[in-house]
Amino acid sequence: MRVDAQTRSLVLLIGPALLFIAALFLLPLGTVLANTFRNEVGAFTLQGYRDFVQDPVVQKVYLRTLRLSAIVTVISALIGYPVAYAIARMRPGRRSIVMSLVILPLMTNPVARTYSWLVILGRLGLVNNVVGALNLSERPLRLLYTETAIVLGLLHLFLPLMILSLISAMENISIEIEEAAQSLGANRLTVFRKIIIPLSADGLILGGTLVFTGCITAYVTPALLGGTRVLMLATLLYQRAMVLIDWNSATIIAVAMVVTTLGVYRILRLFRPRTI
Amino acid sequence: MRKALIIILVASFVFAAAGVINTATAQDKPVLVVSTWGFNQDLLDKNITEPFEELYGVEIVYETGNNSERLSRMLERGENPGVDVVHFAGSFAYTAMQEGLLQPYDPEKLENLDELYEWAQDPLGDNYAIGYAVSSYGLFYRPDMVEEPITSWADLWREDVRGFVSIPDMGTTNGPATLVLIARAFGGDIDNLEPAWEQLPDLVDQLVTTYTRSSELISLVQQEEVWVGAYPSFSWGQLVETGVPLEPVIPEEGLAGFLSVVSIVKGTEQEDLAHKYIDFLISHDVQLAEALDLVDSPTNATVVDIPEDIAAQLTFGEEIIDSLIFLDEATVAENLEEWITRWNEILVQ
Repeated sequence: MRVDAQTRSLVLLIGPALLFIAALFLLPLGTVLANTFRNEVGAFTLQGYRDFVQDPVVQKVYLRTLRLSAIVTVISALIGYPVAYAIARMRPGRRSIVMSLVILPLMTNPVARTYSWLVILGRLGLVNNVVGALNLSERPLRLLYTETAIVLGLLHLFLPLMILSLISAMENISIEIEEAAQSLGANRLTVFRKIIIPLSADGLILGGTLVFTGCITAYVTPALLGGTRVLMLATLLYQRAMVLIDWNSATIIAVAMVVTTLGVYRILRLFRPRTI
Repeated sequence: MRKALIIILVASFVFAAAGVINTATAQDKPVLVVSTWGFNQDLLDKNITEPFEELYGVEIVYETGNNSERLSRMLERGENPGVDVVHFAGSFAYTAMQEGLLQPYDPEKLENLDELYEWAQDPLGDNYAIGYAVSSYGLFYRPDMVEEPITSWADLWREDVRGFVSIPDMGTTNGPATLVLIARAFGGDIDNLEPAWEQLPDLVDQLVTTYTRSSELISLVQQEEVWVGAYPSFSWGQLVETGVPLEPVIPEEGLAGFLSVVSIVKGTEQEDLAHKYIDFLISHDVQLAEALDLVDSPTNATVVDIPEDIAAQLTFGEEIIDSLIFLDEATVAENLEEWITRWNEILVQ
């Protein structure tokens, strides 16, 4: 009886939200998804997915998306570790100031933030001005609409997520463990390698997942810095849906993005250490 | 008492009469439903809607939306179009014709038809559409950056403009024209695109990027990323506004011409009125008014008296009109998918 009442109130509490999501999100999503498995006469087919996998443009774009996302994740881990370590070991007052500096990029509008890269990397931009002043190149360099530009933009966008995840993991490592290791003869590098990294691996996995999946799904940055030729999955999806009005293949791209994201999450979880 | 009675009587007559007139206008005024884009609606009302309604004592109701929205709406309605006249870009009119949504016009009912340029009179064949406005697609370059003038699409391959070229994506309206003009530049044409396919791989390094919307081209020019580009004529005003020095070019291969067409919808009950509307739309006076307001460039050859500063912003004048080439919509529709695939394999990196 008691359980029943509990269930009832649970249904009552969840009901409205569930109804809302089901009617306005799951139902249309399901319809669109179901259409990708149908041919013109409505019979079941996998042709759409077969075409998708065999499309050389898709192959190129898919591999690029994975490659650039991996590059951004690795670089953000390399940059993020020392920063996070330094911040985790700071005095609380100073730490909150530095933390807010780290978070600042997350609080800027992504369009504005990406436009700042247009200003830096453009033909009349900062980099080209320096190159011109030093007479390093006869003509302004083409920096925009390249993979490098996309990597820079994504790194700028997602580095804070990596740093924050690492900080929260490192905060739990008490300073005494480091001191104990040092007193037993480990140098600072060994401490970092054998103590800090394994104990903060959870944060690294979490940060890596956030950065990697974020890179796969980001749209504004690759759209503005990659243009219409250096495509990533998100920009390819937009082209298929809005320029070619090909909803079916756009949906298939969306499915591929979701599956890839989930796959990356599962794979990265395997690396979680089972120590302690 | 009698006075009051008279006043009441007179008043009731007046109201009754007003009522009769009211119902008369509401019931007897024929309604013409026109499907169009909805751009510049205030100017269209001034130049077309109001004078036409007054002339024939009718009412025009507009249904607006972009080409593909309106086409899919018509497809859904099928037998009961609910629309009498439709405005489309040429390629969409071709699809609508293929789908059996249009009916041929009767040339006998269009007094002004003979005044149109020949290419505008029956662009889809079998009297399915009339080109009432023309736009073009050409090249521009920056005279301050490019020493030797650009005169041909082949110049996009020149060493001195490497990395500063932008052209539209294949999936856009101007994609097919881009392909055909490139083929012409290297000795081919729409029925022989091989020369274009052979040259395209070398264009990859010439491009800064491609664009899908003219607004993207405009910001590329503004950021000085582009020295040479292909542009649709309607964006010229905004390109000039960037303040970057630009020189328009009529390339040796010609300017690609695009028609906005008007057609009668199959199943209309206002066939006569639909013809009157089209005839009005292509008449000298309406075409001139639309041109002076920079809404559309005329296809009526009798429109000649346009001031130079306005003409410069239109697809207008002997030199431009003579260099226009029009793509065969049937060939484009048939091959577009293959072109897009092949193009993307080369150009999407």
